[in-house]
Amino acid sequence: MTPDGGIRAQGVRRSFGPVHAVADVDLVAAPGRVTALIGPNGSGKTTLLLMLAGLLTPDAGTISIAGADPVTQNYAARSRTGWMPDVFGTWDSLTAREVLTTVAAAYRMDAAAGQARAGELLELVHLSELADQPAHVLSRGQKQRLGLARALVHDPAVLLLDEPASGLDPRSRVDLRVLVRRLAAEGKTVLVSSHVLTELDEMADDAVFISRGRTVATQSVADGDRPREWRLTALDPEALTAWLDQNGPAYRRESDGPAVLVELAGDAAAAALLRSAVEAGVDVSSLAPAGGVLEQAYLALEEERR
Amino acid sequence: MSVDLEVAEPAPADGGVPAGRGTWSLSWHGLRTVTVLELRQRVRSTRWKTALIVWFVVVGVITMLTTGAFAIISGDQSSDESFGGMVYSIVVGFVLFLGLLVAPTLSSGAINGDRNAGTLATLQVTLLSPAEIVLGKLAAAWIAALAFLVASIPFLVWALVGGGVSWLALLTTVLMLALVLGVVCAIGLGFSAVVSKTSGSAVLTYLTVGGITAVLPIMFGLLVPATTTTENIRVWDVEPGYTWEETTAPECEWQTHEVDVWHSERTWWLLAPNPFVVVADAQPLNGDPEALSEDGNMLAVLQYGVRYARTGDDGPQDWCSGYVMDGDTVQAESPVEPVEVTDQLVWPWGLGFDLLLGAAGVIVAVNRLRVPTAQLPQGTRVA
Repeated sequence: MTPDGGIRAQGVRRSFGPVHAVADVDLVAAPGRVTALIGPNGSGKTTLLLMLAGLLTPDAGTISIAGADPVTQNYAARSRTGWMPDVFGTWDSLTAREVLTTVAAAYRMDAAAGQARAGELLELVHLSELADQPAHVLSRGQKQRLGLARALVHDPAVLLLDEPASGLDPRSRVDLRVLVRRLAAEGKTVLVSSHVLTELDEMADDAVFISRGRTVATQSVADGDRPREWRLTALDPEALTAWLDQNGPAYRRESDGPAVLVELAGDAAAAALLRSAVEAGVDVSSLAPAGGVLEQAYLALEEERR
Repeated sequence: MSVDLEVAEPAPADGGVPAGRGTWSLSWHGLRTVTVLELRQRVRSTRWKTALIVWFVVVGVITMLTTGAFAIISGDQSSDESFGGMVYSIVVGFVLFLGLLVAPTLSSGAINGDRNAGTLATLQVTLLSPAEIVLGKLAAAWIAALAFLVASIPFLVWALVGGGVSWLALLTTVLMLALVLGVVCAIGLGFSAVVSKTSGSAVLTYLTVGGITAVLPIMFGLLVPATTTTENIRVWDVEPGYTWEETTAPECEWQTHEVDVWHSERTWWLLAPNPFVVVADAQPLNGDPEALSEDGNMLAVLQYGVRYARTGDDGPQDWCSGYVMDGDTVQAESPVEPVEVTDQLVWPWGLGFDLLLGAAGVIVAVNRLRVPTAQLPQGTRVA
């Protein structure tokens, strides 16, 4: 990670009149990694992204986008940032291809390069067949994909995706995840905001939680070795709980079913638990993490605030 | 993903930051991008051809009716007389009037409409400068307005064929019409950057256009008492004791009277910004009032009137000459020269003022589109 690459925001604040949309946000997103920006509705995610995209001036705090300050070096910052807004307005009467060539021209590419880039991106987001349809016949998910392509036109070093998966069908979500991972692998900095946590679980490396305009936690979505809840079911629930009572770790029953939830230190602990249960003759039918890492972290934070 | 970095502004090798382009930097490429985008949307999403055809038909009907009416009024013996002046002035006046109605709708939703549709910010984050976005939108609106003007040119030429109007007058008229419509588009653009609702900016644009077209001339009228002073003026008057029952013409002589004199030369500039005045005054001046009234060219009459107002008339007056009694015309030649209207131009002042208004609209709009934004207009979102 280069010292000035990626996104760095420190003590960022922004209010609209009496509303403190962003009260105090610290955020670091490293190149080559996907950072999730997580927070409930109205927590200031979109306002923060507008400031990172160089559209809004922060009232206080410093921002650096790939080494450029969007306030003092706005042009440089814009040239390195790809922004996909949450509310996707589009030039309805233009075709998908024209939308992309227009954006390419707006990024000062010449016409031939813009055409080539548009074709490439349409292929990438699987819109080639609809390339010459006017944008208003596209479905919400297709528009969303077009919006993603638009953010990629100038091959930015930093990508800001505001709720990119909303409206996408399962196939497109997988495609999105693969694409985002690939962009990160190319060394880009990707910041994804969402409140659909299971989605982020699969694509994010790091997570920043914000609530009421403040950064409340930062964590990395490491695989396996962090304590979390696992969901355990057996053919005979009574036998399972009886065995757990004697040998296993502390557990609690799931409120709406026969499954039980146990807190385990990591993948190794889960494997050990499974082995000893099977050896003890308990017919375990499933053992899996209960909910995503981010979901658990998020809910834990919510608990704390209550 | 194969990634070919084609961005024209590559990050410099030394790791520094490219100086970039400021709010006001302009490039042909950027302007054309915005203008093409705007025109494409406009042509595809509006009943553009229908509007042009309706316009063409309406102006055509007006031209025909005017020509027909002129033929009836002037009767058969006037077949050798030129009808061009009147038809020409009516068509120009009508085109300008309709243009002033249409032009605000072409631009007054250009920025707040995009903002409401969520498409403004997607342009702002690109490498287009605010000036390019604003001037590109202005160019698109202006081109649309000029399309209406072009659709009216056949009728202006038709009037020209009717005689009485010079080619030079046609040229200046079309040029001024184009500039005035451009100014109205620029004003609309300015309001659309300030007001969040498109209907609001349209109303403000109409009010502004109405202000320079109607309110200023009304003020000119209301200021007549304030600009009228009582002065001692030399008057070529009838001899004292002359009673109007006499059958001989009066002997005329110089006298001095207290007369109310209207100093319109002090307030003529209130008339100048009026688009009709700008268009009328830019044509070559016909300084002969008698020819004007015969020709029926109302534009020329308007021009004469405005020049007359600028000249002011506080010279000696003739209250005596021209009384012809029983064919007896033994009167001395009147020593009072008729007023020569000034050849000082009025339109540069008016057009200059209008252009300043338009420039103000552009400057306001560019400042509003500056990123990053510190302040948002009431009730708007960035995206």
